[in-house]
Parts: sequence; C-alpha cells; structure tokens
Amino acid sequence: MSVFSLIIINKAGGLVYQREFQPGLRKLSTNDYLVLAGTFHGVHAITRSITPKLPLPVTAPATTPTTSTPNAVSPSATSTPAPSTVTHSFPNPGIPATGLETMETDKFRLTCFQTLTGTKFLLFTDPTMTNIDVIMKKIYELYADFVMKNPFYQLEMPVRCESFDRNLTGWLRGRA
Amino acid sequence: MVVYSFYIFDRHAECIYKRRWLPRPSSIVGSKSSRPTSEASAPATGPPAVLGQSARTTDDDAKLIFGTVFSLRNMARKLGGEDDNFVTYRTNQYRLHYYETPTNTKFVMLTDIKSPSMRVALQQIYINLYVEYVVKNPLSPTEHPGGVGVNNELFEESLEQFVTRVLS
Repeated sequence: MSVFSLIIINKAGGLVYQREFQPGLRKLSTNDYLVLAGTFHGVHAITRSITPKLPLPVTAPATTPTTSTPNAVSPSATSTPAPSTVTHSFPNPGIPATGLETMETDKFRLTCFQTLTGTKFLLFTDPTMTNIDVIMKKIYELYADFVMKNPFYQLEMPVRCESFDRNLTGWLRGRA
Repeated sequence: MVVYSFYIFDRHAECIYKRRWLPRPSSIVGSKSSRPTSEASAPATGPPAVLGQSARTTDDDAKLIFGTVFSLRNMARKLGGEDDNFVTYRTNQYRLHYYETPTNTKFVMLTDIKSPSMRVALQQIYINLYVEYVVKNPLSPTEHPGGVGVNNELFEESLEQFVTRVLS
C-alpha cells in the first residue's frame, strides 16, 4: 500500500511536476522524465483513437423502414449508408472515449486522471492499492488550492510551490 | 465478456496475425455479421471495412496498437526495472491485454472493460495454439512475413473455438 510518485503533465505534453514519495520505482534523470511525459501524452491520445468501433445495426434494405433503431442516426433514409453517416458506436455508448485511465505492470500501477482543461495527473502506486480515485481527488484539490490559487504561478509552467509540496507530502504521510 | 480483437506481432515489429470479432448488432438476429471476420486469411473482405472504420484501415490500427504497447512496455521497463512486464491498460471504453514471449513475440487482445486479467489466456493461446499449430508446423517458415504460416486453418479454427467457448 504505497504511493510511489506523482507526475503532472500540462496540456501540451510538457512535464510540470514530478515528485517521488516512496522508493519503489527506479530513479530517472530529469531528461528521461521529460521524455516519459511527452511519450505518455502521445500514447494517451493514441489509446483514445484505437477504441474499437462497433457497427451500428444499420437497417437493411429488405426490412421495413419503420423499424428504425433509436440509436442509429438516420441511416435508414437511404438503403446505402453514405460514408458520412454514423455507422458505428463505442462499446460504452453515451460517454465520450477517454484515453488510458489505468495501466498495470508487475511492479506498479499507473493511474491517469485528465482534467477538463487537459492537464494530466499520473499517479504511480502499488499494484494492489485500492481507492486510488480518493487520493487522486485529494491531489487535484491540493493542486487547485495551492498551485492554481498561487498568484505567482504561471500557467503551463513547472510547478514550484513549496506549500503544495508540503501539503501533498503531509497528507500522503498522514494517510499511510 | 466481449473480445474485440486479437493481434500477434513478431520480433521485427510486424503484425503477423490480426483478427477482429464484430459483435452482432442486437436488433438483427442471425445476420451475416455473427461470423467473425479474419483479415489475415481473407484480405478481400468487403463488409468489415464498410461497417468498421471508414477513415482508417485495420492495417493502420495494428500499427497504432503496436506503437502503443511498445511505448508502454518500454515505460514499464524504465520505471520498474528490466524484469518488469507491462500487463494491461484500460480506458473507459475498452481494455488492452498484453503478453510477450521470451522471443519477443507479442500477443495483444482488446476486450471490454469488465473482463478479468487475460494474461493467462494469452499465455494459453501462445502455448496451446501458437506453439502447437504454428511453431511445430513443419511447413511453416521460421519467420512469418505478412502472416505466412500463421494463418493456417488449424490455428484459426482453434483460436476461434478458444475465444468463443473458453472466454465467453
């Protein structure tokens, strides 16, 4: 049950924050962390685009046109669906596809939380750890309180807020 | 659980086998799409290209998937050490399972998010199907450029059975 480290990536894929809380992962150089942040940013976008697309039940020409399915977006107007009409849906319809949310390896679990503005929080934890969303929510709260409300913080720039560091480590230590 | 697709990549980063299972649309009973389509054995399949992706082909999908698992595998090794293995990732729409053999053949499977860990299943596919029907096949070449040797009847048939019977 341990939180190894936290990485914050800005919306352009740049590393703005990296901190280790407990040993368990190998240490990388600053350059490697920058590469990792950029790579993850790209992979995150790709994982969203390779979401399997399931074909929608397009009403066949033989069937009567009255049996139109509710989720098909008017493909029954013509017998041959035009390429522009929606012919597929996501496995989990109704919600937009996100990119990678959690990733597991033998040694660690990576949880990614993307805010509405595109900032990504990457939390590296033990693979057996539970309730990561609670920790993530608290980290986001601390980020909002101590980074975003810091009048000297410049957006999209590296986070250098001592109070954020202090509160973060203090809260995580109190949890463990 | 639902299996969406399955890919094998060889050590030269080439996709040597890919197969997609298109779930049958719920409103049409007994239509032709209940049969899975296999791009590796029949490259000239019309319907899946029309029904599935319009802009991007499945060929490009395989390349994107390889790039993704390759990057994540390297990331796992960098952070967790050389003996760490990337196992799986999940988005809010699907889940990707990954298994790599000691010879760097990579097995990738995309399933729905409710499915349990498929690492053992992928290992089973490797041991019981790939090794038995591809590696031990005397007529099969050692390398499989373009899927030669992998797309044999026995392998495809048994993979089909494994996915439909064991995994569902």
